Amino acid sequence: MTAQLFELMLKAAGYTVVISAASIAIGLVIGILVCAAKLSPRPWLRWPASLFVSFFRGVPLLVQLLLIYNLLPAIGLTVPSIVAALIGLSLCTAAYQAENLRGGFQSVPRGLLEAADMAGLSPWQQFSRIRAPIALRLTVPALVNEAILILKASSLISVVGVIELTRTAQNLAASTYEPLLFYSVAGGLYLAINWLVAAGGSLTERALRRGRLA
Amino acid sequence: MTHPAIAIRRLSKSYGQTEVLHGIDLEIARGATTCLIGPSGSGKSTLLRCIAFLEEATTGTILIDGQPLGFEEGADGRRIRLPPQRIRTVRSGIGMVFQQFNLWPHMTALGNVTEALVTVKGLVRAEAEARGMAQLRRVGLEARAKHYPSELSGGQQQRVAIARALALEPEILLFDEPTASLDPELTGEVLNVMRDLGEDGMTMVVVTHEIGFAATVGERIVFLDHGRVLLNGTPSELFAPPRHPRLTQFLETYLDRGAAMLLKPA
Amino acid sequence: MSFDGSVILAALPAILSGLTVTLGIWVAATVLGIALGFVVAALRHFGPRPLGLSLRLVVEVLRGTPFLIQIFLLYFGGPFVGISLDPVPAGLLGLSVYAAAYFSEIFRAGFAAVPRGHVEAAQCVGLSQAQIVRRILIPEMTMLVLPQCVNMAVILVKETAVLSIIAVPEATAVISALGSQQYAFVESLFLLAIIYWGLVEACGRAGSALETRLSKFRFA
Repeated sequence: MTAQLFELMLKAAGYTVVISAASIAIGLVIGILVCAAKLSPRPWLRWPASLFVSFFRGVPLLVQLLLIYNLLPAIGLTVPSIVAALIGLSLCTAAYQAENLRGGFQSVPRGLLEAADMAGLSPWQQFSRIRAPIALRLTVPALVNEAILILKASSLISVVGVIELTRTAQNLAASTYEPLLFYSVAGGLYLAINWLVAAGGSLTERALRRGRLA
Repeated sequence: MTHPAIAIRRLSKSYGQTEVLHGIDLEIARGATTCLIGPSGSGKSTLLRCIAFLEEATTGTILIDGQPLGFEEGADGRRIRLPPQRIRTVRSGIGMVFQQFNLWPHMTALGNVTEALVTVKGLVRAEAEARGMAQLRRVGLEARAKHYPSELSGGQQQRVAIARALALEPEILLFDEPTASLDPELTGEVLNVMRDLGEDGMTMVVVTHEIGFAATVGERIVFLDHGRVLLNGTPSELFAPPRHPRLTQFLETYLDRGAAMLLKPA
Repeated sequence: MSFDGSVILAALPAILSGLTVTLGIWVAATVLGIALGFVVAALRHFGPRPLGLSLRLVVEVLRGTPFLIQIFLLYFGGPFVGISLDPVPAGLLGLSVYAAAYFSEIFRAGFAAVPRGHVEAAQCVGLSQAQIVRRILIPEMTMLVLPQCVNMAVILVKETAVLSIIAVPEATAVISALGSQQYAFVESLFLLAIIYWGLVEACGRAGSALETRLSKFRFA
């Protein structure tokens, strides 16, 4: 493989990272809203949120991507495939992140909120100063895990025509008749990215260790 | 000011079908240490949590320094819920120390003590920290100000929790079994801090199994049994013979917590 | 967009054959993955150190790369090293190996989570090493790993859809092909989504029911 082709693969890997990071970020925002709806006392908020989580966790990402890719033009929205891919990845990770967050919020011991209540913190202050920061810390390992899952799952957006790492490897494998080489390099790049993300996660967890639940 | 610090009138509390407090009438004197003792399930923690308004009583009223807490009795005898602002004002005079310490894990000891000073009282950070340090000094933990709860022993965590409650300058401090989660060698440091507070004239209500502490530091002892106040008096009134048979029975199960000296023939 | 039900009815035999392939590959890959994963976990736990380390490397690589890349390597790269497989065997092999990597991690954690005291207690009453594995470790581990195994089985149902990309005639391949023949792509994809959703929900519920039935064996 020439240096030029390797550079092409590296750029594609960069694109994969950008798409995954964007999906994780958008998914976190949607996930927070879905989690809030699921923890709400109002059934008309809880019910659709549960359905959302169940659907996006119950249907293969590939099918979700094909569905969104074909549904948008069918309802008159013509968008580039990268947009359809981003929507698909974000909605899927949002469902998982909503569940992770819900687990985090439910793991905050009640007594910590009673202590905040006794100290006179308003309900909003109890949420923003005590409950949310502790829940988010508890969610960090799951978030790192989710980032790795999405990095791997993003390979599926090659199917709807986004030229990311997997699609680039596919194109080069087809034109050079060297599938072993290019798929191995792609695999190695995914592995390297995931190891970096995992290492970053460990560092973050170590930095937050002092503030863990005793 | 002739009101008692806390006046409880015909207070009952039920969970579903089970009534755990049956018409409690009790007055807590100002500037004194009152110890609530009694067997497990006697309702002493529930009573304390009702005084903190962490639990809402099913019937009856609680007056804090003459002010109704949470509910007021209307002219027709029905209970009326007070507006949140009034509840908050009355509750701001009450501090609470929990069995599980409940320090916020993501804040340092000083952060725990200053949190409400900044977010609730609106003090600037420098002033809040000066006050916070003063409270940590009072419980002997100035040197640990920058430590996180996970880096402190149980006894130290509980002392920080006391400093956190004191920082808000409450009229009344409630303690819910403050040493029950501590190793025996760590209970002393917490009880000493509480003893000092009592000597400074703080109004304290302490739910405890430390009978020795109750007998020596408590000025009033309230003995609860099956959700009722069975005995209410000074330690010498209650503990000196002739003793109520239920109390004797209770003390016999707490010989290792300082009850032995009360039972031995004088 | 109009929803045409007759399209689905006419294509029912094709849909059923696709579903059969999906279910067959799923069940086979889950069973093979559990068996192989258990062997790998046992070798890592009880085997010689160099073997354990090389197995760990293989597991890490399989868990750190996308399944799609693995299946491309096997299906398109395989012939270059003398492994020429048709789509179905390639898909089954690829999914089983992928599953084994994840199952082995679940079992490894399970082995580690059985309290040492339970093994020591068994040694004290005179059980042999093999008896300890069969009578103590495996039963205790089963309760510990069951929820994650169910979870993994659910993930595998969804991964079977990826095999459509190498032309395995499973549900996703068959139903989306029907969709494009009939110009009813959205309808067919909705049907597909509902089918998977139902499968995943059913699998999750069956797992919970099994956990409840076995719950008397859980740690006190």
